[in-house]
Amino acid sequence: MPKPYLPLLFSGLLFSFLLSCKPYDEPVMRPPASIEGYAPIYGSNNNAKTIKSAAPRNIEKGGKIYVKNDTLYQVETGKGIHVISIASPDVPQKLRFIEVMGCHEMAIIDNYLYTNNMNDLVVVDIRNINDVVEIDRIQNTFHIVDQNRPPGTGWFECVDPSKGDVIGWEMKTLSYPQCSH
Amino acid sequence: MPEKHKTLPMKRILSLLIILIAIVTFAACSKDESGKSTTPGTPGQGGSLARFTIAWNYLYIVDDQKLYAYSLANPQAPQLKSTVNLGFDIETIYSFKDKLFIGSQNAMYIYSLTNPASPAQLGTASHVRACDPVVANDSIAYVTVRMGSTCGGNQNALLIYDVKNVLNPVQRNATPLTNPHGLGLKDNRLYVCDGDNGLFVYDVTDPVYPQYIKQLKGETFYDVIIADDLLVCMIDGGTALFQLGAGDEITLMAKITN
Repeated sequence: MPKPYLPLLFSGLLFSFLLSCKPYDEPVMRPPASIEGYAPIYGSNNNAKTIKSAAPRNIEKGGKIYVKNDTLYQVETGKGIHVISIASPDVPQKLRFIEVMGCHEMAIIDNYLYTNNMNDLVVVDIRNINDVVEIDRIQNTFHIVDQNRPPGTGWFECVDPSKGDVIGWEMKTLSYPQCSH
Repeated sequence: MPEKHKTLPMKRILSLLIILIAIVTFAACSKDESGKSTTPGTPGQGGSLARFTIAWNYLYIVDDQKLYAYSLANPQAPQLKSTVNLGFDIETIYSFKDKLFIGSQNAMYIYSLTNPASPAQLGTASHVRACDPVVANDSIAYVTVRMGSTCGGNQNALLIYDVKNVLNPVQRNATPLTNPHGLGLKDNRLYVCDGDNGLFVYDVTDPVYPQYIKQLKGETFYDVIIADDLLVCMIDGGTALFQLGAGDEITLMAKITN
């Protein structure tokens, strides 16, 4: 083998070692038959950076909650925000669903909604909840959604790129997960 | 008796009136002045698991490693004013008055907002490796630690820190729990979400020694917001709304899970 290829081969090996999902700082463990851990949530890239008000929808993976005046906001992890009137708490009314890909977090001041569209900070004018308007965006400003690994440590379901883009992570009961970090 | 009013001299009424007008005018003036530089709007309320919080007209955000301070002087166009490296596995942020309380998987950090553009580190309390939201007031911080496959750790508990000396928080007590997540503090009541073990209500009149009041069962509780007399709970599959009544009566109003 010609000499110049050796370092390349070595760094290639090192790289694949680093990329491998197996923990390298602890003894290699066999994946458990059943364990709580993160699994990727996939989404299509079609509406990646479009923020809009849509008809109310079912809560699937109810995420973080926020209250402003008589309105409850619940994040649909990775997908957007449910807007629900709780003016009469015994009969809450779903008003709209704000589509925000990769959404995990939110806060509101006056009529301005701040949320994460993947790793962009976006400002959305929600004065008219039926027609919300993106008014500002700071691109790639933080690291809230990691497309390769979930938050925290432990076993997780490996990413399958054929299923789409990772828009978030959810807790699930995993069976023989193959990835950990 | 109505006759009594007649005995009040007109002069006295007049001077009282003048003083009253002066006070009202002064109050109005000072309000105008304080609003001149920036007019801070009214933020809503987030839960204890949040990574976004608004305080002092700034939006503070934590990701897994850093704290970001965005000025909302113009709320339509936030400006990033500073970034602080915190460490690893940062999970939650909570603001109280001029302080930020930040939960990571192995510590609670306290930051000063004396200069809101540039939060400055005060104290740190290290704890066992675990998932850990924080709520706090002037003297006490309540932290839940939960063990689990994604958090590590070997303790499920409510930890109670004395934060009167913000440079050196001291753990004063711990209450064992089963699967604690988010928590909420209002006046002398502490609400702790203990996963599928329910929601615990404590009297924290003596803040170091929470007195168990009751446990709400039937849902898997993850986080709680106390909005006036409403408990808004993030539960498995959605949200549950409870009315807070006299004598710690808690009544389920509705569940939003589909």
